Amino acid sequence: MLGLLMLILFQFAGTLIAGLGVNLPGPVIGMLLLLAVLLLMRRVPEPLQITSSHLLKYLPLMLIPPAVGIMSQWEVITSSFVAISVALLGSLVISIPLTAWILQRLVTRRAES
Amino acid sequence: MLALIVSHPLFGLLVTLVGYQLAMELNQRTRTLLTQPVLVATLIVVSLLLLFDVDFETYYASADIIWLFLGPATVALAVPLYTHLKRIQDYFWPLLVALLVGGFATVLLTLGFAWLLGAGPELLASLAPKSVTSPIAILLAEDLGGSPALAAVFVMITGVAGAVMAPWLLEKAGIHLPAARGFTLGLNAHAAGTALALEEGEETGAFAALAMSLTGAVTAILLPLIYGLTYPG
Repeated sequence: MLGLLMLILFQFAGTLIAGLGVNLPGPVIGMLLLLAVLLLMRRVPEPLQITSSHLLKYLPLMLIPPAVGIMSQWEVITSSFVAISVALLGSLVISIPLTAWILQRLVTRRAES
Repeated sequence: MLALIVSHPLFGLLVTLVGYQLAMELNQRTRTLLTQPVLVATLIVVSLLLLFDVDFETYYASADIIWLFLGPATVALAVPLYTHLKRIQDYFWPLLVALLVGGFATVLLTLGFAWLLGAGPELLASLAPKSVTSPIAILLAEDLGGSPALAAVFVMITGVAGAVMAPWLLEKAGIHLPAARGFTLGLNAHAAGTALALEEGEETGAFAALAMSLTGAVTAILLPLIYGLTYPG
């Protein structure tokens, strides 16, 4: 349970910082804080490791309730179907080759020099 | 009779678990990327709610036991991010450049296409975080004034579509380096892309996991800033 306590404390810390005017969601600030602490510690405490992997196993389940909210969004989806499809697929078609090409080029160029 | 079930405090949990179990079953039988379990489960839950004539607010309130853990789970993402971050030492600068260029390109292209085709501010805010892992995307969309539900669904569609199209696109672009293939899959198609990358090999999978974690963290920091600058109010 110590692991869960750590996660919740970091989430509250994040929420407090967000309340001070940092323009980020509380849990995201909590994640960044925890990352900073882990980088300083240079290891993951065992209770945290155990709780995190258990909790993240249930992540797909946790995403269902917010996603079900689309049932009140049909109007947006049907009226903007083309814009949504083109935006989602079009950006992938360009950004997948672009990202991969840049990375492969930079890595091979460095290996050659 | 039916009212007794629907008004039970565990109704939301029951419907969600039934939907997820059926979706997992379908995914294991068909073994295709298209039957992404969360996407299918969402559609099953929506169908059940329409069938029982339950509105979203009632369902959401009775499923709070599930989504209340999204916050701690988001914080927990720091652990895999820390673990995968070791891999960044292999190619620090190339990865950083690819992350920033790829991340910016995805967001700007998505918003550009949608804006040109007449999408309104709420839809744009829901589309902006589409290449970020779902828990973070939901929070970001809400902060930017979009719909968390649309954001969650757009993320899942992006994951599926990205994982379906990526092998062909990478082939056409002549990308053979495992690090480049993996990093691209994780950055553009998060969880679904990472699963696909793991099938290609351990190195590809590791870079995909790194990209997925990094994209989530970096976009979470930069998106509200960029959005505030380019789309005031």
